Order: sequence, then structure tokens, then C-alpha cells
Amino acid sequence: MRDVASYANSPFLWACALGVFAVIVLQSLIYMRAAADAGPDLDFSREDLRRSLRAGGVAAIGPSLAVVIVAIALLTLLGTPAVLVRIGLVGSAATETSSATLVATTMGAQLGGPTWTPEVFTAAFFAMGASGGMWMVSALVLTPILKRGDAHLRHANPALMAIVPSAALLGAFASLGVAELPKSNVHVVTVVASAAVMAVCLWLARRLDAAWLREWGLGIAILLALGLAYVAHHHTGLGPA
Amino acid sequence: MTTDTDSGAADAAYARYDATTSRWGRLTMLAALLLSWLGPLYLVLFTDLVVSWGQLLTAFAAVAAVFGVIWVVEVVTYYPVLGPAATYQAFMIGNIANKLLPSAIVAQSAIGAKPGTRRAELAAVMAICGAAIVHIASLLVFVGLLGTFLVSLMPDSVTQVARLYIFPAIIGAVVVQLGAYVRSTKILVIALVVAAVVQLLLVPVLGKMFGNFATAVVVIATVAAAWMLRDRNRRYGDEAVGSGDLES
Repeated sequence: MRDVASYANSPFLWACALGVFAVIVLQSLIYMRAAADAGPDLDFSREDLRRSLRAGGVAAIGPSLAVVIVAIALLTLLGTPAVLVRIGLVGSAATETSSATLVATTMGAQLGGPTWTPEVFTAAFFAMGASGGMWMVSALVLTPILKRGDAHLRHANPALMAIVPSAALLGAFASLGVAELPKSNVHVVTVVASAAVMAVCLWLARRLDAAWLREWGLGIAILLALGLAYVAHHHTGLGPA
Repeated sequence: MTTDTDSGAADAAYARYDATTSRWGRLTMLAALLLSWLGPLYLVLFTDLVVSWGQLLTAFAAVAAVFGVIWVVEVVTYYPVLGPAATYQAFMIGNIANKLLPSAIVAQSAIGAKPGTRRAELAAVMAICGAAIVHIASLLVFVGLLGTFLVSLMPDSVTQVARLYIFPAIIGAVVVQLGAYVRSTKILVIALVVAAVVQLLLVPVLGKMFGNFATAVVVIATVAAAWMLRDRNRRYGDEAVGSGDLES
């Protein structure tokens, strides 16, 4: 029991992951009943309800499958339960792998290599849960306040609300991206390939008016960049020893 | 939409709906939150792994210093679009901008509901229920079963590369995607320049403690620089809903 996978795929973690799934299904069922109950008085018929459900579900098929590709690529690093909860649901591939990288750095380790021990994985999983959970905590705390129509929060300076999140996220991801470069030449190749593939996908999406390319861009970029990393790692002398 | 129904009955029905979804929305979200904390706590407390609380605290602090602002800002940004009931769904299911919002809009147009009406609100919430069920099912089948099986078939040479290079393979694309979404070359350039200075020049010189919080330093410096160098004549408004599909 010394490898990450045996801890990351432990039955208890599976049970927690399936529990989160069950809670979301339960929430959906309660919401549907509430809407079915109140709908007739709100000009929202059973037929409207059925059509809304179906339209939402069908519209989600493409984006869901795009998330699936990204999630599968992360299975060997984080194990299935962590991927299902952290990447598939609450978090996103970008924020959660960023968290894992930040944590690994504090422990003098790197993702996926010989220093990626069960202990480092545990600390990373802990921090992902704690940080990812804060989005839910903030939803739980702020929703009642926003519902009361707190003027102060609702009329926050629009320039501030536009610039701060954009700059904060771009700063975070740019920093983590640049930090990959000194690790090895294969890391450089992988970062550049990933960025280039995404740029091409976004350009094609606009040129061909193909919105699906925007959704699938991340999955395509990951697969092609990993393919290139495979060639560079195994068939050239660029990789770390 | 109370034009052709008795408005008293409609208000009562809406109040009922609002009470149910708010109460159960909060309870279910709390349950999911606790369940998502249980897994890591189990590894820390009930296995032979030795991870100190100091290490865990440092780990959390490093992440919080980077994403702390986003936790709050995203909820405030999405609330006017989502409303209370859907906020309790969205921050549990994730993928808000790339999946939940498009689903809601498609459903509203499918039943011809005007935005801002109660009918549109119900359509959006039901659409998110539909999206949640599709998402849960595809994760279980394609990731939980098929993906796990697929990975077990892959030779070591492939899984090794996937483990080692998954983060660089993600982060390059994410920076480009977010840069395109934000539509501000200025902020993108500021972020990249600050990141290069901090990560490539300062980190090697200033040592480990600085390295732990280097990304937090980049975040603060980028926000400050973007704010000071902002275009003071531009009107900021509806175009900036959320921050791409990077939300929780």
C-alpha cells in the first residue's frame, strides 16, 4: 500500500464520491417536485417542465462529454473518486490541478513524479476539498444576503467586478504555467503545444462558427499535448532523468 | 407572469416553491460539502499516512492565497443570472458558464419564456436539473466505469507520461482560453510579464518560503497592475458575467 493509486481509489473515497452524486440527484428530484407543485399557478405547465428538463439535458450532452475527456486524462494522477468529485463536479480541471500543483510545491514535490507520494496526494486532496468547499461555503453564506437584496453587494463597482476576477485568475494560471517551464524541456514543449492547440481551436471556432470547438478545446489540447510529451519523453533525450 | 392567472395564487405558489428550494437547496449543498470533506479527512485520520496539520495548513494557505478572492466574487457575479434556487445547484454541479447557463437559455427559448419572469426562472432551474442528471450519468458511466477500465489497460509508459505532464498539458490551454475569454490583451500581457518576473527571476533567488506563495504574489501584483492601468473610459457592465468556465 505505498503507491498513490491504492489510497486514491480506496473504497471509502468511492463511497464519498457516490454520496455527492446521490445528493445532487436528490436535490434535482426535490426541485422538480417543487416546480411541478407550484408550476400550474405560475403559468408553467407539466409540458413546460418536461420540455425544459429535456432541453437542458440535451444541451448538456456535448459539454459533459468534453469534461469526460479531461477527467479521464487525470485519472492516473488523482484516482477515480477524486476526479469524479473534484474535476467532474464541484471544481474544474484548471482550478483543481492548480491547487494540487501549489500544494506539491509547498512540500517540495512535483505532480506525478517520484516525489508524488501518497502523503503529497493526501495534502493536495485535502487542500482541493477545503478550497473547493469554500465556493459552496460562500454560496451558502452569500445567497441569503443577496436574496435580501443587499444593495452594497449588488451594486459593487462594475469595473472592479470585471477586472478583479479576470486579473486574479489570469495571474494565477499564468504564474503556474510559467512555473512549469524550468522543470524540463518536455514541460516546455507540453505547455507550448497545449497553448498552441487551444489557440488554433479558438481561432477555428470563430472562423467556422463552430461553438463545440470552444467546449472541446481543452480536451483536444490535453490529448495532443500529452501525445507530444510522450514522444518527447520517450524518444528524445529531453525528459527529466 | 401573473397576467392571466390569479396573482394571489401565483404569489402563494411562488413563495411555496421558493421556501422549498431554499431550504432543501441549502441542506443538500451542506450535505455535499460535508461529504466532499470526508474523503480527505479519512486519508489524514484513518490511514497509515503521516501528514502533519502544519503541512495541511500550509497547503490550504497556499491555495487560499491564490483563489480566495474568486470564491466570493464568482458567487456574487453569477447570483443575478442564476437566482437563489439555481445558485445552490450551480456551485455544487460546476461548469456554470460552459454548461449550466447555455442549458438554461436553451430551455427558456424552447418554452418561449421571457427572461426575468417566474416562468423563465422555473425553466432555468428545470434545465439545470436536466443538465445535472445528464452530467452525473456521463461521469459515472464514461469516467467511473469506462475510464477506470481504460486506464487499467494502458501501458505504464503512457500512464507515466499522463501523470508527469498532465498539468503542463492543461495549463497552457487554460491561459489561452481565459485570455481569449477576458478579451483584454492588456491583462493577459500584465499577467504573463508579472509571472515571468516572479517565477523565473525572484523564486530562484528568494528561496522556498517565497516559492510557496509566489503565485499569490503574482495574483496580487496582476490585480493591482490591471486596476491601475485600466481603461478609465471603458464602460464595464453586462459583458463580464463570470470568469469563463473556470468556476467551481
